[in-house]
Amino acid sequence: MTTRYSRRLFVNRFNLVMSLITMAFGLTFLLWILLTLLQAGFHAFSTDLFTQMTPPPGSKGGLLNAIAGSVLMATMGTLIGTPIGILAGIYLAEFGSRGWLAPVTRFINDILLSAPSIVIGLFIYEAYVFRVGHFSAWAGAFALALIVIPVVIRTTENMLKLVPDSLREAAAALGTPQWKMILKVTLRSVRAGVITGILLAVARISGETAPLLFTALNNQFWTSNLDAPMANLPVVIFQFAMSPYSDWQQLAWAGALLITMAVLLLNILARTVFRQPRTR
Amino acid sequence: METLVATPEVRTEHAPITAPKMSMRNLDFYYGKFHALKNVNLDVAERRVTAFIGPSGCGKSTLLRTLNRMYSLYPGQRATGQILFNGENLLDATVDLNMLRAKVGMVFQKPTPFPMSIYENIAFGIRLYENLSEREMDERVETALAKAAILDEVKDKLKQSGMALSGGQQQRLCIARAIAVQPDVLLLDEPTSALDPISTAKIEELLSDLKRDYTIAMVTHNMQQAARVSDFTAYMYLGDLIEFGETDQIFLRPMRKETEDYITGRFG
Amino acid sequence: MTQDHTNKQFDVEMEGIRSGVLSMGGMVEKQLTRAIKALSQEEDADLLDAVGADEAAINQLQINIDQQCAQIIARRQPAAVDLRMVLTVSKIVNDLERIGDEVKKIAYKAAQTRGSDQLTRVRYYDVGRAAANALAMLQHALDAFARLDVERAASIIDEDEAIDAAFSAILRQLISYMMEDPRTITPALEIVFIAKSIERIGDHAKNIAEAVVQVVKGKDVRHSSAKQIRAEVAQP
Repeated sequence: MTTRYSRRLFVNRFNLVMSLITMAFGLTFLLWILLTLLQAGFHAFSTDLFTQMTPPPGSKGGLLNAIAGSVLMATMGTLIGTPIGILAGIYLAEFGSRGWLAPVTRFINDILLSAPSIVIGLFIYEAYVFRVGHFSAWAGAFALALIVIPVVIRTTENMLKLVPDSLREAAAALGTPQWKMILKVTLRSVRAGVITGILLAVARISGETAPLLFTALNNQFWTSNLDAPMANLPVVIFQFAMSPYSDWQQLAWAGALLITMAVLLLNILARTVFRQPRTR
Repeated sequence: METLVATPEVRTEHAPITAPKMSMRNLDFYYGKFHALKNVNLDVAERRVTAFIGPSGCGKSTLLRTLNRMYSLYPGQRATGQILFNGENLLDATVDLNMLRAKVGMVFQKPTPFPMSIYENIAFGIRLYENLSEREMDERVETALAKAAILDEVKDKLKQSGMALSGGQQQRLCIARAIAVQPDVLLLDEPTSALDPISTAKIEELLSDLKRDYTIAMVTHNMQQAARVSDFTAYMYLGDLIEFGETDQIFLRPMRKETEDYITGRFG
Repeated sequence: MTQDHTNKQFDVEMEGIRSGVLSMGGMVEKQLTRAIKALSQEEDADLLDAVGADEAAINQLQINIDQQCAQIIARRQPAAVDLRMVLTVSKIVNDLERIGDEVKKIAYKAAQTRGSDQLTRVRYYDVGRAAANALAMLQHALDAFARLDVERAASIIDEDEAIDAAFSAILRQLISYMMEDPRTITPALEIVFIAKSIERIGDHAKNIAEAVVQVVKGKDVRHSSAKQIRAEVAQP
């Protein structure tokens, strides 16, 4: 065995060990966070969480109005953002090869994708809340939609670009009109990928605090009025965790655990159920 | 003196020349500034197999893709000259591309099944042009699959995804899909280059059946394949049509030295 | 064949069958020379042994070359000029083997008639001259093949006509001897067989020449008249 070879072997082993160490380092914190959440949050878990409204300090209560508000606003945000995102993604992937509009759109979308969510919250505050004069669930949904859109645009475009041109040519060779080709062939072949993108967007907005702070604000009580401030988990957690009352802090832990679990579930769902089927 | 012994029929003519189905006249093609086809004049005979051979980059695929104007999917590609098809110049700007492609089907190098069931893969094309009852549609799908010699292999799994078939089956599915819309002409762009020898043989066998109903133009890298399946062969080099003639003549006694060098393996 | 194949091994194999034909042709030529010698009066006891041994070698060569041709077809799928070459080599090898057979017959018949003092003039002079012509024709045919020279090949077709004419002349001469003196019938018949063999050799040499035209021009000129063949050869 030459020295060159043993040197190479050593470098290989060294690098392998280093990457394992760094991976362990990152994973440690992740597990730590999860463990802490589980410890503190599980303790506060009870059926009351899902049946009682957020309480005033010192009394018993749950998070029902916050959960409902979060689900409602995330759903609305997704419903508003997804069609826009998919359509824009289709435009970029299928029609974006000529002209100036597509590159500009793509550039702006990239900025939007990496914009801090608090900026988006402030924008909706300025553009909608300030003009209407009060916080509302609508404003919250709009802000969340603005976060959904760039994610969906990006995943839709990327997935569509993975479709080989030969499939488009095959559809065109049958005399298929372009809209039909996109709907029935290309979009369909990346259905799973696009759905994964949407699920990941939902996972992202379900934990956002900043945009809701300036838009939906919070509400101590149950409301189904979309034109009024509405409770939601992230803001409740934010508010309760900062409070000096221990029962509020307990509820904040429970809420945090709840969100984390929901996000985890969405991610697992996105990665397993809707995984791109392997073609052979 | 009369003989009572029946003399075996001597077959001297192999593929009597039929009326041209497509006629290229002074055809030029450009990828942007690159001149990819140079003044090509060639007739594709009706109900015959015409093969295009030549080294990579000689323009044979380009030529095939002008016949259904597949190139117009891409900006910067253009063709000039004439390709007469059913009395019309199919390069005219007024030609409806979708109607043209209904008449000129195409099968690609890699099998391209759509992400849907085997049945839907075939029905997809038919639905673009016709409104059929469920029974009529079933019949049409079955006929197309039978013509492409794949019916026996898939008739019990028509509802399964077309992507789950083997490569050779996928390619025959694509041929079935192309003929389901009842085109006049079938273009094949290296249809067997991604397939194993047995699937290749099946497709070659299929071609000899299909030419009874369709005019076939194919590009192939495999010279022996051109020799086996085609009636006419065109040899192209660097965008020029070097020689075009009956396959028997091209492979036994080519007129041009360039052709001879290529088919006997003296190229480059 | 101006340019080499991209696959050099293909060239080696093609050269193999080509040189095989030439060496087989060389052996057949040598046999024919021996037979001509046997026609002369000289006694040579070893001659027939040598003819027999070489005949076996020629047969073996035929089998070997044919096998090589089959292998080239199976493994290389030759086309155009290569295909014509392989097919032609297989035909030429067949003709050479047949020439070998005829030569053997001549040698044995010559040995049988040796010692007879009848018809010596026909035997030595006319038959010997025809045999020498046939040898020249064979040499020319092999030469045309070696150089793929179609003009040379076309000229051989004329030579064949000369040999056919010589055969008829010998036959007429022998018939008149036999009518004059029935005792000459037996030796005359022997000479007829020899002359017939020589005529056959001419035919086979002509086949070789036609095969050369087919390799180069790609046209089958068997059963064509000399005029047609010349016209074909004259075409560019």
